Amino acid sequence: MFCSRVKIDRALLRKIRMYSKIAGYSSPSEFVTHALEKEIAILEEADSEEEIKKKLQGLGYID
Amino acid sequence: MSLVRDLWLRARWGNPIVVVSGLPRSGTSMMMKMLLAAGLEIVTDEIRAADEDNPKGYFELERVKDLDKSGDKTWLKAHRGKVVKVISFLLKDLPDDNAYKVVFMRRSLDEVVASQNKMLVRRGEPTDPASDAEMIERYRTHLRRTEALIGGRKNFRWLDVSYNEILGDPRGPAERVARFLGGRLSVDRMVEAVDASLYRNRAR
Repeated sequence: MFCSRVKIDRALLRKIRMYSKIAGYSSPSEFVTHALEKEIAILEEADSEEEIKKKLQGLGYID
Repeated sequence: MSLVRDLWLRARWGNPIVVVSGLPRSGTSMMMKMLLAAGLEIVTDEIRAADEDNPKGYFELERVKDLDKSGDKTWLKAHRGKVVKVISFLLKDLPDDNAYKVVFMRRSLDEVVASQNKMLVRRGEPTDPASDAEMIERYRTHLRRTEALIGGRKNFRWLDVSYNEILGDPRGPAERVARFLGGRLSVDRMVEAVDASLYRNRAR
C-alpha cells in the first residue's frame, strides 16, 4: 500500500492518539482513515440531497 | 485571532456579505428580523409575502433560489455589507468572489420537520412519503455535508445560533451574533425583535 504524509496540528495529533486508544483502534492511522472514510461517505451522499431538494421545492424555498 | 481573520477577509474580498442560513423553519426569518432591528441593511425583494407560516415575512430574495443553477452570480457583489437569507441547501453554491459571515440557525430537527409538514399541508403540496424519522436523518446528514463543504473555504466565517436558545433567553445569542458581526449592533433591539408567540411547533 502506498502511503502519503499529511500535516496535522500537534494538538489535534495528541487528541487523535488519545481517542484512537480509547476507541480501540490498532493505530492512530487506522482511526484517522476510518474517520475520513466516514466524512467522505457523507460528502458523496447524493440521494438524500435529491429528496431534500424535492421537499424544499414543495416548500417554495428553491425553484 | 478572529479580528485578524476579519481584517484579512475584508482586505481580500471587501466587506463580507452577512448570510443568514439554516434549514427552512429553523428561525432564519426571525434572525433576519433581529438583524434588521439591530440596524443592518436587509436584502429582500418582498416577493414572497408574509403568510400564516411566517406572519412577520420571509425576508427572501428570489434570485437566491437559483444559486444552484449555473449563471451569473456577480449580482451578489452589490450586497456586500448587507444581509441575505440563503437556506442551507444553497450555501455551497455561493461564489468564491465574496467573503461571507454565516449566521447559521439550528433548531431541534423534530420541530423543523413538524413545522415543514404543516407548511406543506397549508400550501397544498404533497407531504413527504418518507417518515419523519427518515427525514430527520436526511437533514442530519445534509447538515454535516454542508459543514464539510463549507469548512475548507477560506472566505467563509461561521456562527451557529440556536433558535430554541433564542426563544428561551435571546440576550446571550444576540450578544454572540453582535460580536461575530463586528460588535456595533444594538443587542437590545435584537432582543426586542424576538416574538416568542411564534414558537408554535415545540418538540414534545
